[in-house]
Amino acid sequence: MDRILDLAHRLARYGAWAGGALVILAAFVIGLDIVVRKLFVLAFGGAAELSGYVLAISSSWALALALLDRAHIRIDSLYVHLPVRACAALDVLGLMVMLGFAALLTWHGWNVFHQSFNLGSRAVTAIATPLAYPQFLWLVGLAYFALVTLLLLLRACHALVTGDIATVQRIAGSRTGQQDLEEELESLRRRAEPAEDRP
Amino acid sequence: MIWVTVAMLMALLALSIPIAAALAALGLSLDYLYSWMPLRLALGEMSWGVSTDFILFAIPLFVLLGELLLRSGIAERMYAAMSQWLSWLPGGLMHSNIGTCTLFAAVSGSSVATAATIGTVAVGEIDRHGYNERLFLGTIAAGGTLGILIPPSIVMIVYGALTETSIPQLYLAGIIPGLVLAALFMVTVIVACMARPAWGGDKIAVSWGERWRTLPDLVPPLLIFTVVIGSIYTGLATPTESAALGVLMAMALAAWKRRLSWSMLRESCEGTMRTTGMIMLILIAATFLSFAVTSVGIGNQVTELITESGLTPIQTMWMIVALYLVLGMFMESLSMMIATVPIITPVVINMGYDPVWFGVLMMLLLETALVTPPVGLNLFIVQGVRPRGQIRDVMIGSLPFVVTLLAMIVLLMLVPDLALWLPRIAG
Repeated sequence: MDRILDLAHRLARYGAWAGGALVILAAFVIGLDIVVRKLFVLAFGGAAELSGYVLAISSSWALALALLDRAHIRIDSLYVHLPVRACAALDVLGLMVMLGFAALLTWHGWNVFHQSFNLGSRAVTAIATPLAYPQFLWLVGLAYFALVTLLLLLRACHALVTGDIATVQRIAGSRTGQQDLEEELESLRRRAEPAEDRP
Repeated sequence: MIWVTVAMLMALLALSIPIAAALAALGLSLDYLYSWMPLRLALGEMSWGVSTDFILFAIPLFVLLGELLLRSGIAERMYAAMSQWLSWLPGGLMHSNIGTCTLFAAVSGSSVATAATIGTVAVGEIDRHGYNERLFLGTIAAGGTLGILIPPSIVMIVYGALTETSIPQLYLAGIIPGLVLAALFMVTVIVACMARPAWGGDKIAVSWGERWRTLPDLVPPLLIFTVVIGSIYTGLATPTESAALGVLMAMALAAWKRRLSWSMLRESCEGTMRTTGMIMLILIAATFLSFAVTSVGIGNQVTELITESGLTPIQTMWMIVALYLVLGMFMESLSMMIATVPIITPVVINMGYDPVWFGVLMMLLLETALVTPPVGLNLFIVQGVRPRGQIRDVMIGSLPFVVTLLAMIVLLMLVPDLALWLPRIAG
């Protein structure tokens, strides 16, 4: 089970890299679009439309990573004052509600894709993109998010039932500000190091 | 219906359900309880619509811009230059903290990134120069909040997208209040250090030669600011396109500083996408919730409630401000705004207020939320960059600046033109 989660985490990270690469690529395309428009007074167009697809695809691929890294924000004003067992129960409850939302999004995302696919819908733009393509990639991200949420919920439930509270905390606990910071600091320190030997 | 909704929202949030799932659950509950047709059928098209909104593409771009700047070492050099120029004031380096935050705010769209970056560079200086530690930490936490007020600003983009307010106008409106607030923060430091000279630490050696020599280090951030903001107002680019230009510029600068590498890019991408995924999921849920709230008529009920209360618009506005100040103590700022703005803004516009002005007021309220305990993200960030000590120090040190923020809020309420003058003469 843990091995599957590790694999899922690695896959989610690749998804985020790919998403980030798409965003950088879109930045270049937008830059090119501006230059072409300014210099040649030519409406090359399409950059905005394609960037929209990039946003949808890259953010849907990032949902699972955000979940695994516990980056989805939770209000922990009350949470931090509760005993650890209650926190663990809330962690599982949070995952359940998240699963409901993820499954619903995937289901409705499927409907959107299915309809575009059947009707062969095209965007009402100059490129007339067949919408089923970007929607399929978006749907993959949503479905992966739902799948990972399910896996995480199963693992957390198992840990809760067997009384392994530490594991629930580790995979599903709310990140307190402190934890965030330690990671932020760690990465800042790593970045600062090469700066030390600068003249 | 209003009270049931508020109670459900409070319960979901208190249970520490992830914000996105909580907002979606609330929207669905309203759908099942009060709607005569199934609103959830629109969820698919709505999610696709939000996810492909070109305006929102600015979010990953600005997050990426921040990540790139953080990793390219530009901030350390900015700080060194600022300390040459500002540390002669009573309070010394505390002014450099605020000055560097202001300048960093002009390239970064996030308050947390601003506080984290400047904080890391600055905390080492406390002992070296014998400053009052609490006040010094307060300048970083408070100065960092300028990130969302001074353009570019991720939070303003989200506000603009949710309320259909022009983002270029919001950016323009944020500039003067941002500079005034930075000046007020500095005045706060000067007043404190005049009253208690020991707090100000010892003098820093500066020379005109050194000042001129470090001046070029202020150029990279100014260059990015000019490209991002300049391209919008010369009509060269839309706000989203300008963010793309900013990213290309930051990559060029990082390459020039020889900090651009595959591992740096990979880390930047990962950080960017994690934040983007989190924000986009909340936005999808919030859009559905706001659709549900409008469809079942809660928006109208809130408006009626306020009309029947017999309060004048100005009294209502004070009530709204008070509400946000209290909420801000307990909620994370971005989610607080996303959860409330779809309900509050129509009411505010109905009363005749300018959505651009309200947007700037909202930024100030969110800034206050970032530094008011017990939940204030910037307090946690600054505490995190310290090698030792209790969070209490940061909280106490930030209090004078909370007072300054409140003064700024009052000032903006009394003189709306602080925000509205620049957009008016420009447009």
